[in-house]
Amino acid sequence: MKVERGRDLAKITWGSLAILACTAAMAALPWLGVTSYVRTLVYYGAYFLALGQAWNLMSGLTGYVSFAHGALAGIGAYAVVLALNADLPMVISLLIAAIAAGLASLIIGVTSLRLKGTSFTFATLFLQELVLLLVRKLPFAGGPGGIVLEEIFPLWLPHVLMIAVAGGATLLVLVFRRSRTGLRVLAMRDDEAAASAIGIDATRVKIVLFCASAAIAGLTGAVHGVFASSLFPNEVFSIDLSIIALAVPLIGGAGTALGPVLGAVIYVGLREILQVLAPNLHLTIVGVVLLLVILFMRDGIAPALGRLFRLKDRRGQVPAIAEVRA
Amino acid sequence: MTFPLFLQLLTNGLVVGALLAIVALGVALIFGVVRVVNFAHGEFVTLGAFATYLVVTQLNISPLLGIPLAFVLGAAVGAGIQAAIVSRAAGRPELDVLMVTYALSIIGLGIFSSAFSGDFRSYSEGPSGIFTLGSVVIGLRSLTVLLVCLIVGVGTILVVQRTRIGLALRALAQSRDSAAACGINVPAAELFAFALAVGLAAAAGALVSLIGTIHPRVGHDLVLDAFVVVVLGGMGSIGGAVLAAIAIGIVNAFTSFALDDSWARILTYCLLYATLLLRPHGLLGRHVGA
Repeated sequence: MKVERGRDLAKITWGSLAILACTAAMAALPWLGVTSYVRTLVYYGAYFLALGQAWNLMSGLTGYVSFAHGALAGIGAYAVVLALNADLPMVISLLIAAIAAGLASLIIGVTSLRLKGTSFTFATLFLQELVLLLVRKLPFAGGPGGIVLEEIFPLWLPHVLMIAVAGGATLLVLVFRRSRTGLRVLAMRDDEAAASAIGIDATRVKIVLFCASAAIAGLTGAVHGVFASSLFPNEVFSIDLSIIALAVPLIGGAGTALGPVLGAVIYVGLREILQVLAPNLHLTIVGVVLLLVILFMRDGIAPALGRLFRLKDRRGQVPAIAEVRA
Repeated sequence: MTFPLFLQLLTNGLVVGALLAIVALGVALIFGVVRVVNFAHGEFVTLGAFATYLVVTQLNISPLLGIPLAFVLGAAVGAGIQAAIVSRAAGRPELDVLMVTYALSIIGLGIFSSAFSGDFRSYSEGPSGIFTLGSVVIGLRSLTVLLVCLIVGVGTILVVQRTRIGLALRALAQSRDSAAACGINVPAAELFAFALAVGLAAAAGALVSLIGTIHPRVGHDLVLDAFVVVVLGGMGSIGGAVLAAIAIGIVNAFTSFALDDSWARILTYCLLYATLLLRPHGLLGRHVGA
């Protein structure tokens, strides 16, 4: 047990250092003279990673599927533009965006997290539609025409912020899933009744986790709002973003810290290739990849690769992660 | 509000509610028997709608014949998908199974969007004209939809309540393990339920093409309402789903008239959250153990 603990600690330490180094390197890109194409690619990779990790923190760790993360990011984007247009400083505006998304998540959390997973999934699905309808109706949100950010910020600002959010979220998932509470959450995913029986307040843990996850999604959306600077409700609250938020971690490996990183890289690559080859089939192919990964790799590409390599390392000791999970 | 207007809105709501009931019936059937929320259900509605549209406009076949054709096509596609894809995920964690039907939904949405673009389509073949009953005006097409929904809905409920295979389905919905222990062929029963439900969805799609315009998201949008209905009626309860569908159809007709379509939908979703909070097992539902 002690050995395991030691290995865990080493993993967290090295993992954190690697994530910090990557984050710093990516954040420094605007000053390293790379082309704007590469910079945009990295930005979008970070955007999808941050959103994916936000989803991962809730759905990947608990197994409760959220379809609302696109909408939560949209709420963040709207909140930040409204706050900045009211002449609030950047830090406060970002904070407001995170809080707004967190509050919206409470509506879903309180109404449906006492129940089994399906009710939660439905509640998140309808948030998407409800928010889009409300935003198009509310006068201060600009109606169907959307809203525009009045102040223009330098492009490096959203770039650095987005990389920081993505790196921070990845670090959070890495440390959290090995923490005491994180282990409780994983125990809950595997058997909620058993976890409740040993004294874990499952409902409270889920609500708090979903709130934190929503705040990260809101922050991500807010930074993207600064990047995009003009928001149209049908674009901001399209279902696409919610699909990306769950496809990135599911393809890479839901419930792991580094899986979504791989998922984001794969997704951004796929998106670039498809934009040239078959822009119409983008959605279909994402769906096919998602289906194939779920059916044949069970818990994503990263854990599948992990099993492949460990299989070569220690013959005879076949790890059965998928079997334990199922 | 005058009394004739009240009756008119009630009739309009009844037509929409009946259509919704057929779709929700399928969602409830799959949820009850296969224990899967079929997120791809809307894409099967769209499939039925476009299949009927193509048959009517290209082959000059009556849309009335398109309804059984859509049902058969839907049942065949549904059986294929259940056998080849959904059954593979059986027994896996809930997240995996949900994501399978969700991925199918994304694939279907992508295919319809790229094949038919975003145009709104409709056709003029088939029954036309209006029918007046006192002060209520009802289009012959709407009347057709109402009648077909009644026949199909009653037929499905009879199959579930009165036949041997229906008994197997109900046993499965109560307890999977006990049903298997009693010698019920679980994979075959699941295949039947899935095929029947998808057939219903496709037939509903054919009816949608008869009374409205169709586009690649037509089923996707309709199924969101069907999900509301299934939650309100108590997850997996067929009778509850039918009642809730008709109620939602009528409520929507009145709120759409008094305010507008968007507010009607906002109200529907708020009703859903209130139900989840106050009556989590549906308006009529009782708590049923898994």
